[in-house]
Amino acid sequence: MRNNHPKKRSPFLLVIAGTLILLNACEPLATSFNDVEDAIIYTKSVKVAPPLPDSTLKVMTWNIRFGIGRQPWFGDACGNNTVFKKEEVMPGLEAIVARIKEVNPDILFLQECDVKSNRTAYIDELQYILDNTYFNYAAYVSEWKSEFIPSDGLGRMDMGLAILSPWPITDAKRINLASRGDQAGIVNYFYLHSCIVTGNVQIPGFKEIPLLNIHASAFATDDTKHKHFEEFKAEMDKLNAAGKYFIAGGDLNELPPGSDSTDYCYEDMCPGESFHQPGDNPQHKAGSDYTPEATWLQPLYDTYSCAVPLSVYQANQPAYFTHTTRPEHTWDRTLDYLFTNYRWRAGSTVTHQDFFSESDHAPVSAEFVLRTKGMEIK
Amino acid sequence: MIKNILASLIILFCANAIHAQDEPLLKKWSYNTAYLMPAGKWESGLFQPFRYGINPKLEVFTNVLMLPFIPEAGVKMAWGTKSNFVIASEHSLCTPTPFLNFISRKGIGGLISPEYNFSFILSVYNGLIVSRQIAPKVLASAKAGFAFAFRGEKPDPQSTIDFPLFYPRMAHYYKGTSIRLGTAVKGRIGNKWFCEEGVKVFIITRKENNFFFENAGTLMWALGKSLRIRGGYILAYGKYPYVTPKWQMWPTLDLVFGSK
Repeated sequence: MRNNHPKKRSPFLLVIAGTLILLNACEPLATSFNDVEDAIIYTKSVKVAPPLPDSTLKVMTWNIRFGIGRQPWFGDACGNNTVFKKEEVMPGLEAIVARIKEVNPDILFLQECDVKSNRTAYIDELQYILDNTYFNYAAYVSEWKSEFIPSDGLGRMDMGLAILSPWPITDAKRINLASRGDQAGIVNYFYLHSCIVTGNVQIPGFKEIPLLNIHASAFATDDTKHKHFEEFKAEMDKLNAAGKYFIAGGDLNELPPGSDSTDYCYEDMCPGESFHQPGDNPQHKAGSDYTPEATWLQPLYDTYSCAVPLSVYQANQPAYFTHTTRPEHTWDRTLDYLFTNYRWRAGSTVTHQDFFSESDHAPVSAEFVLRTKGMEIK
Repeated sequence: MIKNILASLIILFCANAIHAQDEPLLKKWSYNTAYLMPAGKWESGLFQPFRYGINPKLEVFTNVLMLPFIPEAGVKMAWGTKSNFVIASEHSLCTPTPFLNFISRKGIGGLISPEYNFSFILSVYNGLIVSRQIAPKVLASAKAGFAFAFRGEKPDPQSTIDFPLFYPRMAHYYKGTSIRLGTAVKGRIGNKWFCEEGVKVFIITRKENNFFFENAGTLMWALGKSLRIRGGYILAYGKYPYVTPKWQMWPTLDLVFGSK
């Protein structure tokens, strides 16, 4: 019989084999991450000559809010919009690029950078920033990556963290942080997974510098953030124990110890919401009540040098505020940090509070004192 | 390379034509062929459309579950047999506007951002199907058709559902005409077991995001005279708005029930 002829079966076997091969190429709906993965290295197509620093390296950390400036987004500013058009995103990116050039940092830590996400018109924001600044390299890791998020019209999402440098970045890794413990499994599957991006830069004449950029959980209501800080510090401790001097920073989504105000439920409240009243459930807005977390950053301050020392911050807190959720209001809390196990140049730290319209975070920059080869950690 | 793979698959499924008849196969699984539902008989699936045979030359169909969200109605017309090819045509109308507005929402199930509001869209599909027995237990079919839409207002291009299976079927709501080609082979592999393997191509008449391919494989088990369960996979490839074309595999499952 014709349909039993061996030669007639072979094409079907080929199809099955081909299908199995193709299965390997398929991506899951949402990306889950290993504990440690390689970062993606971006490069500028036409390289520019890197600077020749003599004694310090200017470092800046900035949560750029995926380039939408202060426009009300549904997820964090009581907005209704989920998706922004290219013509709404590009002015924000152009403004960010202009500010980066104005500060002129040698190393830049970015958080909330979108790469071909539906909400930002599929613009590769990192490549745009790289191509329009003097940086030659970027190490990128995703923290929120899903082929399609079936909620609020989010659709395809790839948001992440990046380290930008004029010098090559080596051994760049993504270090996964603890998953939120206060979310249902299916929500957590599609939700962002906080992480650290690490890498090393070698500046000619100086010791190799490990870099760590973190974006800790913003809305966890359990001890997830505390775990993130412990994991962040553990990475720093490893480098310190190995005799390496590092620069670490990012958006910790946490207030410094001793902050005068620790509950922002009213400031962050959207129309129709109610908190702190009898019968309110929850009593506090997720991500707005830092009161139980007042000491969570203390070990970082106790062990390493913050670009804004705690005593300096406590003496004049508003001068170092870096964030607000309200589009029309000025900065009302500090969430962004730079740390090192060596030294910052005295008086070099700037909280760029005048960069008001580019993001809901103000960048922080500081000059790191470079160590020439042969110097050891004391 | 991808085009070569697609061409090979299409050739594979079109090859080996011989003549025969297989009553159980047609009785259990005439969906997606040029054969109509017998007069007075009906069948429906959770996802497969409801089909009802009006007379030997006319079948009507709609998707019952989705009817409140996507009002749809169609007819399949038999055009006889030529050179052992059974020929039929399909014609359908649907208005996806209620569905699009329903899924344009906040929270879970919001497949489209809530800021979009869709005006009236009428989608029209016309196609031709030919089927031919290629072995005693095997039936091959080929389809060609096109879908276009009348729109009250052109939807915002960012309000698409950029997801395999959805995107190619909805592409013409936004821009262009969707040319649809496909072929499938289905066969009986036992008294109660049936299988189908097929490919579909969607070509949208526009400059970008205009080519999609699907390969579907299905196994069907006839539980009784009127109930069948079928499952399988769809392997989808497409050029979506985020530029990088990619392959993705999805499982399929459906219950089909109807007249004995």
